[in-house]
Amino acid sequence: MELQDIFYNKVEYVETASGNKVSRQTVLCGSQNIVLSGKVIVQSDAIIRGDLANVRAGRHCIISKRAVIRPPFKKFSKGVAFFPLHMGDHVFVGENSVVNAAVVGSYVYIGKNCVIGRRCVLKDCCVIEDNTVLPPETVVPSFTRYASSPGVCIGELPECTQDLMLEFTRSYYQHFLPAK
Amino acid sequence: MSHILQSDVVRYACTCGSLKPLSRIYFCRHCLKIRCGYCVSHEVDSHYCANCLENLPSAEARLKKQRCASCFDCPSCLHTLSTKASTVVVPSSDEKTVTRKLYYLACGFCRWTSRDIGYPDQTVASGGWPEKENPHASRIYNLLEHFKTLALREKQEREKKKKFIPRRNIYHLSGLSAAMARKRAGLPSIGPSSLKDDVGGPAELIPSAATEEVEQLPEEIFTDTLNLLKVTTLKQRLAQPEFQPQTVDELYPAHKCLLIKRSQRCRSCEHNVSKPEYNPGSIKFKIQLSAHYHVPEIRIVTCEPLRAGEKSEMIIKICNPTQYQSSLQFSPLPSPEEEAEELSKEIEERKQKVDRKDEKTNREDVLLLLPSICRQVSITEDPRPVNVALTGDISLPPVTLVLPPRDDAAEYDDSGDTHNFQDDPKIVVWRKANKAAMKLVITPEEDISEGRDVIVGFVMHYTYINTMATQLLEQREPQKVNLKVKLYITVGKVVGK
Amino acid sequence: MPLKNSIKIMPGAMICNDCYLRGDITIGKNTIIHPHASIIAEAGPIIIGENNLIEEQCVIINRLPAGEHPISTPVLIIGDSNVFEVDCRSEAMKIGEDNVLESKSFVGRGVELTDGCIVGAGCRLTYPEIIPEKTVIFGSNCSRRQQSERPPPQTSQLDFLSKVLPHYHQLKKNKHEVKNIIS
Repeated sequence: MELQDIFYNKVEYVETASGNKVSRQTVLCGSQNIVLSGKVIVQSDAIIRGDLANVRAGRHCIISKRAVIRPPFKKFSKGVAFFPLHMGDHVFVGENSVVNAAVVGSYVYIGKNCVIGRRCVLKDCCVIEDNTVLPPETVVPSFTRYASSPGVCIGELPECTQDLMLEFTRSYYQHFLPAK
Repeated sequence: MSHILQSDVVRYACTCGSLKPLSRIYFCRHCLKIRCGYCVSHEVDSHYCANCLENLPSAEARLKKQRCASCFDCPSCLHTLSTKASTVVVPSSDEKTVTRKLYYLACGFCRWTSRDIGYPDQTVASGGWPEKENPHASRIYNLLEHFKTLALREKQEREKKKKFIPRRNIYHLSGLSAAMARKRAGLPSIGPSSLKDDVGGPAELIPSAATEEVEQLPEEIFTDTLNLLKVTTLKQRLAQPEFQPQTVDELYPAHKCLLIKRSQRCRSCEHNVSKPEYNPGSIKFKIQLSAHYHVPEIRIVTCEPLRAGEKSEMIIKICNPTQYQSSLQFSPLPSPEEEAEELSKEIEERKQKVDRKDEKTNREDVLLLLPSICRQVSITEDPRPVNVALTGDISLPPVTLVLPPRDDAAEYDDSGDTHNFQDDPKIVVWRKANKAAMKLVITPEEDISEGRDVIVGFVMHYTYINTMATQLLEQREPQKVNLKVKLYITVGKVVGK
Repeated sequence: MPLKNSIKIMPGAMICNDCYLRGDITIGKNTIIHPHASIIAEAGPIIIGENNLIEEQCVIINRLPAGEHPISTPVLIIGDSNVFEVDCRSEAMKIGEDNVLESKSFVGRGVELTDGCIVGAGCRLTYPEIIPEKTVIFGSNCSRRQQSERPPPQTSQLDFLSKVLPHYHQLKKNKHEVKNIIS
């Protein structure tokens, strides 16, 4: 199905020079540490904790409502430190999901209500289905589909996943229009 | 994610008769036909561990029984175990206390640790964990050896029968040949026939005997209170089939299973249709002939509510993924007689191809090689007619739709389309770069009940420029081919009047 | 019944201004509450102990199910060194020490957590019972197992956060008086 136009309240969203559309109702802590590469959509009530560590999102990412992007922490011998969180390009984070991962690759689809555990590694081109709980330190290899709690591999993705995610995120951005 | 993959809205008919969405089919550039997962043969390229993403060569993978050497699965929840370190202050020999790191395995999900089963903490981060020996290992090994020798003997007998070359040797008749002499002397024979005797009989194997005596249940089973937290679940038990422990403190971590990277090969022309790179972390492909890049894609944009017997408009979006201009036409599905004709033609073609192939190479010697080099024998199925009940009618406009080639740079360049296509504005409602939207009229059946899906089908003819290297060498310019594909669209559910 | 806000914050506790606190709440020493958390003391007061960590989108609520009229005001007591991860929801009346409520977990009103329990991500505990010590509840079926050690306290994380949070957030000031809701 072709995506339908999604309209947003023009007053509610801020559009930056690089094409990022960020809602004013988000909680962006430490915004100087958050880097949104371009054409990123951050919908209302999302929380990005840039105060704990650097957060970098690639191009054409979509962070849906009430999602929480939070850098993970790691205990060292000398104490605790929060790791920077890098998200690749063309990532879709579904509504209400909690992303505590260490690395999120490119072309990743994260469904609704997911819990991505601490220090997880999501490689490129993977899909996390809705309502998945990924325990801490899971590695999700490319072209796999994970579901259920604890997250297990339930299937494979077709070879053209990269292009499918690319088209999806791009068309989502094109259809995300201000209401007239 | 299912709404991106759209596995059941627009389906393409493969040559074998199965319906698949565009993302799941391949396009073989040599046969110029669509191939689905059933029409390709899968081959394993490489093995890798899902956790450490380490590549293992196939021979090593077979030795380790397709398991990773360094990663473990939690016996309690089947998640991957991680190694955690704890520092311990140990008094060393020269009266100074040294802090050493001791490692233990822990699960992040159910909080199982290796200390629960009494494993001592290791000083080495990986590789130090004790392996539990299978109690039935020796019996299984004996059985395997026995059957291996049996198989070898049978194979040799078969070979001997086939390669029987009658040697006309007069010495053989007179009893003066060297072989007869050796036999009379009682010496072991040498030469090809000696292999049979050398193996000897299979090792003496005591077959398993069935007994009727079963161990009686202990009396305590009726009187002891059961602590459910100590009993293993069936899933945990069967994850370790060699031991099948009944209590939680006998659950040992198992090595993690390996995943594979596979390449696909068209069964009729034996060319690769999809070949990924060896590196497990890479998403690139050496060969990627997914239909997504060669066959025009059709998507539903909108559709008016469907009512039985009434016309509704549907707008579909067509996208040309190739680097060349393509012109499309639409025609209704062939009638059953025409389809039967096409199918019989296909079957004929396939038979001719198989005969030609058989003449060229004799594949039998390849099959007898070691299994790792052996290629899967291509079993091709005869094409079948598509088995879908159509519940609606579609009106197809008689226009020829020309779609410009795909231009990746057009995304950044907003100068607008420079193509001028004479389009009927009532049919072609929108155009942008290599995409166009078309209006079609759907009429569901008169007697269709409410809530049922409306399925329509049609044939799409499109021109395809074949850019294969061999073609270019022969003909100097790319060849334009007219191809067609059957499409079935599940438009939606019927609403009441 | 309109709620009078009475929030007592002990020294050392850090509560981001963004949080939604309503009713009679006492927060112990060194407790850290991340932005966007909610603590709602509807039916009665909430007393939170020391060294707790309450993360974003958390909801700790003391409310009565519809139609119930208690004999006395129910007090929700939370002990020391507990961790409430992102988006968890707790209506439990009594929570002991060293417990961990992972992301998106839900603990109903009749449940009582003792010490050292871990409620896994996504698990929902609705049936009223007392969870024994050191129980781990995990998985979509809420399977349980007994742990041999208690979960370690998050003192190092608390220390780090107490240094970092003041740089980026406005914290609620210590006041021992009735405060109006800050919208």
